[in-house]
Amino acid sequence: MNNLSFKLAFAAIFVVLMAIGANIATWFPLLKVSGVPLTLQTFFAILAGLLLGKKLGAFSMVAYLAVGAVGIPVFADLSAGVIHFIRPTGGFLISFVFVAFFVGLIVEKSEESIKTYLIATFVGLMTNYLIGTPFMYLSLNYVMETSMSLVTAFQIMIPFFIKDFIITMAAAVVLPQFITRLTKAVPSLATTRS
Amino acid sequence: MNSLIIGQYVPKESIIHQLDSRLKISIVFIYVIILFAAETSLNYLLFFILSILCMSLTQIKLSFIIKGLKPVWFLIVITFVLHIILTREGDIWFDIFGFPVYKEAIIKGFEIALRFFLLILMTTLLTLTTSPIAITDAVEELLSPLKKVNVPVHELALTMSISLRFIPTLIQEVDKISKAQASRGLDFRTGKMKDRVQAIIPLILPLFISAFKRAEELAFAMEARGYRGGEGRTKYRELRFKNADYIAGLSFILFLVGFIITR
Repeated sequence: MNNLSFKLAFAAIFVVLMAIGANIATWFPLLKVSGVPLTLQTFFAILAGLLLGKKLGAFSMVAYLAVGAVGIPVFADLSAGVIHFIRPTGGFLISFVFVAFFVGLIVEKSEESIKTYLIATFVGLMTNYLIGTPFMYLSLNYVMETSMSLVTAFQIMIPFFIKDFIITMAAAVVLPQFITRLTKAVPSLATTRS
Repeated sequence: MNSLIIGQYVPKESIIHQLDSRLKISIVFIYVIILFAAETSLNYLLFFILSILCMSLTQIKLSFIIKGLKPVWFLIVITFVLHIILTREGDIWFDIFGFPVYKEAIIKGFEIALRFFLLILMTTLLTLTTSPIAITDAVEELLSPLKKVNVPVHELALTMSISLRFIPTLIQEVDKISKAQASRGLDFRTGKMKDRVQAIIPLILPLFISAFKRAEELAFAMEARGYRGGEGRTKYRELRFKNADYIAGLSFILFLVGFIITR
């Protein structure tokens, strides 16, 4: 079976899912934690790595960034444009490519178990912040031309990290159940991975 | 939600609309890069004039464009305020409640804010005047030299087109799912954190299943029609340079020369 059609279709679907994940609170206002709307982007990027593998997962994230870059409002707050890549939060967007890649790498290398999922999710989250935060520092200093130290940038991100950590790790616990049910409903998804 | 469904494209017959999408993307791309090299106020004036000229040529209502810029006013204001707070050198201009405001800060802040404004205006004009499909076609053609180094450019452009087609469909789906689950009494507002996160499943799982089922159907349809990658595929819409494109390209080169002289 030529897998190319399936690969492209699944990657395209993840582009749309990322767009929905970024704005999930628009439809489910209930998904708010003490007033701050929750985005499921990091979680969806991790899922891209888990479900599509490292290569296709990263490819779908590149496509997501490209769709946003050419002006389709798929980023958070229904916004778009290349400007997002130089904004302070741009690094978090760019990091999704690597998040999907590393998560895919871990899942492909080890057997499926809740432990693997937890490790992969944690690595994904760390990738997100370790790329996003230094990028925020660079953007604030060289694009916005203000002065802020790298340490301060990390300190600012700590509460966000804790929030994301709790949500993402809690979601990781339900992952095995989630993936089993999903691949049962859509069998070709299981064969496209790898 | 409507803004996401129709995208930002406004179909019109203006000169800017009819320009080749490859040319428009290239111009905006170069514009964005050299905007960061702007130094003198004459530079900024040139950029300002070019952007306003393009804006007026699009025939799109000013109020509509300003509405499209709404999400970024915040960013522009924040940039300005950050500068006033963080700049601590030069001459003091005036005090606000004992907080000294420096002249340097005002000038620098205004400069950066203007830069952001122009940047966003120009990229917004691109998407207002170019249909998403024309954009993905142009992306494929502009990036095609990268095919030689094994970058899957065709695949990327096709993935982008497919996702554009699915955005409205899946958004309707999310709407349906949220209503369906609400009618069954699903509630996240109360309960423990763990329970609330667990309750994401009844929302996300149906979404993923229906999304991937649609993708699977599309893939089967592509298989049935013998899709075998980009090699040797022909196009229904061909991009072609017209006279207006050469004139627009030349004008932009003139602008670049003017920019270098005034720098």
